[in-house]
Amino acid sequence: MNERYEALSAAISARFGTALSSVSSHCGELTWEVDKTDLIRVVTALRDEDEFRFEMLVDVCGIDYLSYGQAEWQTDEATSTGFSRAAVPVNIVPDADTTFEPRRFAVVYHLLSISRNWRVRLRVFPGIENPPVVPSVVDVWAGANWFEREAFDLFGIQFEGHPDLRRILTDYGFIGHPFRKDFPVVGNVETRYDPDQGRVIYQPVSIEPRTLVPKVIRTDNRYASELKDEPEHE
Amino acid sequence: MSEIQNFTLNFGPQHPAAHGVLRLVLEMDGEVIQHADPHIGLLHRATEKLAETKPFSQSIGYMDRLDYVSMMCNEHGYVLAIEKLLGITVPIRAQYIRVMFDEITRILNHLMWLGAHGLDVGAMTMFLYCFREREDLMDVYEAVSGTRMHATYYRPGGVYRDLPDEMPRYQSTKFRAQKDIDRLNENRQGSVLDFIEDFTNRFPACVDEYETLLTDNRIWKQRTVDIGVVSPERALQLGFTGPMLRGSGVEWDLRKKQPYETYAEVDFDIPVGTNGDCYDRYLVRVEELRQSNRIVRQCIDWLRLNPGPVILDDPKFVAPSRENMKDDMESLIHHFKLFTEGYTVPEGEAYVAIEHPKGEFGVYLVSDGSNKPYRLKIRAPGFAHISALHEMVVGHMLADVVAVIGTQDIVFGEIDR
Amino acid sequence: MGLTNSEIQQLAAVNLSKPETPQELLDQRGFWVTNADALYNWARTGSMWPVTFGLACCAIEMMHAGAARYDLDRFGVMFRPSPRQSDVMIVAGTLTNKMAPPLRKIWDQMPEPKWAISMGSCANGGGYYHYSYAVVRGCDRIIPVDVYVPGCPPTAEALIYGILQLQEKIRRTNTIAR
Repeated sequence: MNERYEALSAAISARFGTALSSVSSHCGELTWEVDKTDLIRVVTALRDEDEFRFEMLVDVCGIDYLSYGQAEWQTDEATSTGFSRAAVPVNIVPDADTTFEPRRFAVVYHLLSISRNWRVRLRVFPGIENPPVVPSVVDVWAGANWFEREAFDLFGIQFEGHPDLRRILTDYGFIGHPFRKDFPVVGNVETRYDPDQGRVIYQPVSIEPRTLVPKVIRTDNRYASELKDEPEHE
Repeated sequence: MSEIQNFTLNFGPQHPAAHGVLRLVLEMDGEVIQHADPHIGLLHRATEKLAETKPFSQSIGYMDRLDYVSMMCNEHGYVLAIEKLLGITVPIRAQYIRVMFDEITRILNHLMWLGAHGLDVGAMTMFLYCFREREDLMDVYEAVSGTRMHATYYRPGGVYRDLPDEMPRYQSTKFRAQKDIDRLNENRQGSVLDFIEDFTNRFPACVDEYETLLTDNRIWKQRTVDIGVVSPERALQLGFTGPMLRGSGVEWDLRKKQPYETYAEVDFDIPVGTNGDCYDRYLVRVEELRQSNRIVRQCIDWLRLNPGPVILDDPKFVAPSRENMKDDMESLIHHFKLFTEGYTVPEGEAYVAIEHPKGEFGVYLVSDGSNKPYRLKIRAPGFAHISALHEMVVGHMLADVVAVIGTQDIVFGEIDR
Repeated sequence: MGLTNSEIQQLAAVNLSKPETPQELLDQRGFWVTNADALYNWARTGSMWPVTFGLACCAIEMMHAGAARYDLDRFGVMFRPSPRQSDVMIVAGTLTNKMAPPLRKIWDQMPEPKWAISMGSCANGGGYYHYSYAVVRGCDRIIPVDVYVPGCPPTAEALIYGILQLQEKIRRTNTIAR
């Protein structure tokens, strides 16, 4: 992280104090977590105050942390038990619950300052209620409009105060929020033309999802640079 | 007397000026637009979700297919994000090759835009002229990667291979006279770099040719001047980037302001518009064609003088060479691991933005330490632009909608993802 | 029709050599004789007007096929913006669930006889996006397809080859004689 970003980091900490909590990054990027009740106050200040000047909202996106850090294939102790043939699907609880894990969904904002030439990332957790709700920033940056519609469409996160919260990417009449981790990649329905009815209809999906490469997590430092062998071949 | 009401007009999704699959629901008062509601998602293919189910390297191909007129720039954003998380640096020659191909891609993109925009507002010849030059550049793509469009040429750690020493040539055939084939092969005698250099020598004259057709053309000016005006403040509010922002007079180019790869080393200028209308954005993009040509030339000069590796020699991320694999056990194991499981990327999140031909192309990559992206968010420049379509067309005539769609340089692959 | 046997013998006596090419035939006799099916097929294959149905990446290659280098006009293939004027549909690109009803509507608006070319892996069977919840796994679930052109995207040459294959297919069909 260079000096300018350190100065910005210090300025943000000084200005907002405990309203923001910093997240460390090994990529030299600034990330702050904001409580959703403070969001509008914080982003308005970040936009308007002279020491920040974040005129532009580059991106808004949702994240579903449901299966974060869960591997599909356990390989750590495989030498004693042997490998299974394929990935065991992670057991996922369906969406019917009335509440969620407090840190399951998040909305991530990427801000950019043209005049100061720096970027910052904010993350807001909508909390436990179903459906998840965060305040809309459309009144702060008009460009947020469609990005928030997209997050609503794909994750079902509702934005309070959004003027026109409709689905945007998925089909007309789509059911579910496809980018949630408990939504299958192949979907629940597929289309085909029905000659009897003379129109395109939906039917239950006819293919099985396939895992070609299981998700594995390696914690054995094999990529750590200090442990790496020099390549021997020339 | 009965009251005259607005009527609703459905535009698209199958419409030659819709640049793919845009559906617009327009509320019209006579010929004047009162309200425009763009419906997108007709090309929504769930790229981001599919990328979550595949190891990191296998999704590079999805990036090509996002914005399918500027393929390698998309790869660049994604590959840079992986490299940032892995904390690896690319060999300098690979950086120059990437810069050169980014600019070739920018020329490809702007030619496509110019041809399609011209066609939309009635200049058929532009289409044919632009595609003539695009063919040459697609041959360059084919020479380095083996495919005309979806190259998958950038890899984490460098590029797939060094520039070939031979440019593929036309072969003799009974359908064409030998003399014509010799003429076609004239600039293909040397290496790929020679061919690109020959292109850069020819290209400024081609741009002049486009400009003689359009820049002072009365019809062209009537269709574009003062159409879709966006003020600089509004452009920032709406999240405009790239030529859309520069056309409004904001001097902002990530290649200059936040240089990545070797853009700090090459010399080029940023064109900026003044009025923020379709005509200014046209002028900005045409000047970018010339500037890109200039950057390509500088890269050629550097690449001729500095041979070297084009991809990292680190078998944990980069596939071993074919020869090593044949007689070296270690390489074979690495190859097997890379192509069955891939590599795991340290836990963390990274946002990388590059100056894509259309604007800021951002890749937000979240990794939980596994071999697949946990969340991949693609920030498509066109998404912010088309969300402002309503503002840009209200009060204009129906025919101007086509000019505004053209000037936004819309490609649905990246907007719908 | 109307010729007596003796007249036919007279005509045959004028040119005893067997004509080899259509041009020689025309030079010798001043007319051609063919059956109606062949005439229809000749007319149909010579002017196949596709409706521009560019969906995604393949549309770029389709445009390249129609532009300066490959010049599809040579084959009488001219892209039409309206389905009412066209007899071929080239489905070029990924067909999504949201786009499927419009695709079928355009197809239904085309006058008979009509043919469909499915261009690229996505249109053929979903391709790279086969496992996506939003993609139709092959446009033949929506419309009947005559020729599949493989590739991702197929080069402009491959599309031209596909069009020539479709011409072959049309030549084999009979409209009147069944």
